Amino acid sequence: MSEIISFTFNGRQVQCEPGQSIAAAVINTGTLSLRTTRFGEDPRSIFCGIGICFDCVVVVDGVANQRACLVTAQSGMKVESRS
Amino acid sequence: MRSPDAIVIGAGIVGASSALSLTNAGLRVLVIDRGAVSSGTTGAGEGNILVSDKDPGPELTLALQSRDLWFEMQEDVGDSFELEAKGGVVVARNDDRPLIKLASEQSQHGVVTQKLDHDSLHQLEPYLHPDLHSGIFYPQDAQCQPMLAAAHVIRTVVSRGGAFISQAKVTRVIVENSRVAGVETSQGIFRAPIVVNATGTWAGEIATMAGSHLPIAPRKGFILVTEPTKKYVFHKVYDSDYVSNVASSDADLQTSTVVEGTRSGTILIGASRERIGFDGSMNYEILRRLAAQATSLFPILRDVQLLRAYRGFRPYAPDHLPVIGEDGKVGGLWHSAGHEGAGIGLAPGSAALITDAILGKKSFMDCSPFSPRRFARVAV
Amino acid sequence: MIIVIGAGPAGLAAAEAAARNGSDVALIDSAPRIGGQYWRHRTEVSGYRSNRAEALFAKIKTSRSVTYISEASVWSIERDGSLIRVNYLQGGTESSLTAEKLIIATGAYDRSLPFPGWDQPGSMTPGAVQALYKGHGVLAGKRVVVAGTGPFLLPVATTLAEAGVEIVGLYEAHSPLRWTLSPVALIFNLSKFAELIYYWRLLAKHGIRPQFGRVVTSFAHGQATISHVDSDFRMKAKRAQTIEVDAVAVGWGFLPDLTLGGIAGCKQRVVSDGTTVFDVDRNQLSSQPNVWIAGEATGIGGADLSLLEGEIAGLAASGQEISSRLRIKRFAKELFAQALSRSYPIRDGWKSWSNEDTVICRCEEVTLANIKESVVELGAEDSRTAKLFTRAGMGLCQGRVCSRNVAEIVAGLTGCSVSDEERIASSNRPIAAPISLGLLGDGKK
Repeated sequence: MSEIISFTFNGRQVQCEPGQSIAAAVINTGTLSLRTTRFGEDPRSIFCGIGICFDCVVVVDGVANQRACLVTAQSGMKVESRS
Repeated sequence: MRSPDAIVIGAGIVGASSALSLTNAGLRVLVIDRGAVSSGTTGAGEGNILVSDKDPGPELTLALQSRDLWFEMQEDVGDSFELEAKGGVVVARNDDRPLIKLASEQSQHGVVTQKLDHDSLHQLEPYLHPDLHSGIFYPQDAQCQPMLAAAHVIRTVVSRGGAFISQAKVTRVIVENSRVAGVETSQGIFRAPIVVNATGTWAGEIATMAGSHLPIAPRKGFILVTEPTKKYVFHKVYDSDYVSNVASSDADLQTSTVVEGTRSGTILIGASRERIGFDGSMNYEILRRLAAQATSLFPILRDVQLLRAYRGFRPYAPDHLPVIGEDGKVGGLWHSAGHEGAGIGLAPGSAALITDAILGKKSFMDCSPFSPRRFARVAV
Repeated sequence: MIIVIGAGPAGLAAAEAAARNGSDVALIDSAPRIGGQYWRHRTEVSGYRSNRAEALFAKIKTSRSVTYISEASVWSIERDGSLIRVNYLQGGTESSLTAEKLIIATGAYDRSLPFPGWDQPGSMTPGAVQALYKGHGVLAGKRVVVAGTGPFLLPVATTLAEAGVEIVGLYEAHSPLRWTLSPVALIFNLSKFAELIYYWRLLAKHGIRPQFGRVVTSFAHGQATISHVDSDFRMKAKRAQTIEVDAVAVGWGFLPDLTLGGIAGCKQRVVSDGTTVFDVDRNQLSSQPNVWIAGEATGIGGADLSLLEGEIAGLAASGQEISSRLRIKRFAKELFAQALSRSYPIRDGWKSWSNEDTVICRCEEVTLANIKESVVELGAEDSRTAKLFTRAGMGLCQGRVCSRNVAEIVAGLTGCSVSDEERIASSNRPIAAPISLGLLGDGKK
């Protein structure tokens, strides 16, 4: 592999291949839950996987409600379950 | 219900409040609606209960009383529709003199106003643009969830002996000897000596069915809804400088962008009382203008995503005053409609006026400025 | 110029046909690579007859008349006199394209039905599992159940199995005998038998035995409950089975993506199974002048039909005559599409899978009990009033996932059927993709 992408998810280091989405990278580490819900604090992960359902939304570099299934992971990104 | 004392047409907030007020006065009330509860303009409203956006005059008197009646109605019905006296902050852009002049006139008529300097303004709304330097705080401005309110009020009416029939579209208003005798609907005929027309944008159609006339027309309004955010906006915040030449007339002061947070975390951006423009179908230029206005007030909203936008149809009369009172031609037919963007706020006040008038009681104000008869001269 | 929105089978076929006939084409798509959901790939397309994809990709990539704009989300469409303006977001900025003609090929997404635990991590759509693997090379789990209804379950199960996933169960809610209801469609589509054999061999190779009349009725903490259902999808009291899994991929056919065509003002209609689709004429022209719609957005029919509809739309938009040969091919595929909906209908029994506290609207966390309360206590009579009372459908996804389910739950409670008007109204979304207020207001990032 020519290049390794490295970013943090809730402070933890995650590595992935170029072109992989944030969701794919995190799930590949064995962690399914990407966030907890606003009211019930229930864990959620990807559901539709194609940007329709907005269930996998995370905070990317401070910007809330980004769909982890669509956003391509970039080195140095700071991804958090909530702001 | 076999023989109601009164039929209220329309299960929006205006009809629901009228039905509650008549029920509490001892009448047996039947409410009918062509759809479900809250399915018309009430369902597209922000839930504004405002005194800040009104000039001194009969509408302000009504608004002040109605605002207090909202809290009484909450006591009566139970705390179930998110009524909250969150207060309004009107922000001046450059020249704050027209705003201060309006506030001082309003305060002579019972509106509580509080002048804000740079520090107090930013204490109330810390995310406002730092250059904004002055404004007025209106602690009486309030908000509710209007659809829930109408539903709970109707429920109370039914629990007190009234009735509600949905999906009953009025096809004919029965008039006998110049007096109303009931309505024919898609769900059958209902007879009563009193009929209250609380059908908002459709009020003109009901009047026409009764052989009368009411010049009420729909006007489109837009509301923008953002994604849920952290709490950035703490009150209802209005921009008094929406129209660039703010000093040109008082009417301009009433065309203001409103930005406010909701309990669900979304931010609503709308126009409190636009009297100019804003007609036409979904117009992205208007959305852009509203977004530009909102972000110039709150720069932090620049990174907040717009999620949806919707239109509502506001019922308005040519002179922009609500129509509350007995029809000029048909006895027993009472109108409470044409509240434009203020129907939620004015609903219980209008209901009290209608009920007092029906019972022949003296009311808290002279309601002749709202009389449907005022259009008699221009009627065709 | 012709703008084509969507680079799946329909959009690619439309762009190719239009370019072949001398039109300049701008092809806009939200993904980083062409292919859409159906031909999703990291390196090369694999699966049944994937050579078709490679051929089409090559034509698009080498055509000088096609400008391909990737990772661009269209958020609104406006009329500007006789021109059509498409506003899109790309890399944090907003841009616009203006053309005389527009072809919309926005495809479809998985339909989901609620059951206890469908909101848990690990419960996802077959499309999600497929996208995760094909698009990103990541497996949803080591042990996976694939369930729901429809032929799409086959490529998902076989793709995962080929990738090394243990398919713990492949559950189809319906009986395969339902295909006997559609003999004519099968005779017109004999090639489909080859496809079936292709998948059958793969299933056999991995020892996967599809089981019929069963559905996933709960999922939590790595345990899925599989229940037997009758033809109305009602659980049979006997024999529920619990199995250990990492993930469940459950899908109930597809819903057309109606957002952009709706913004363009294109007329919609409701087909017999309750799905809202765009109303197009024999040339794929919508009710709006110079706006053609092709593929799943005009009715769920699969990639074969999408390719034909796309080609017809591309030809029509370039002013070409449509040959009777193409029309007949499309007719045969339409017959197959009708047979699909006849063979895999969604039955009302799904409403009985949920508990009172099962989330129906995932975004706003609205439960079945909340919806019941809005109907029984507050007088909601349709999905719109239920939405106003409960916020179901008002969240980030704009009701794309739940609005149809909410409408049908409310209809079940009131005893009325969902009106066509209500179904069409629920797809009205004037903002197709979230746009920041800063960009919207002054165009600056």
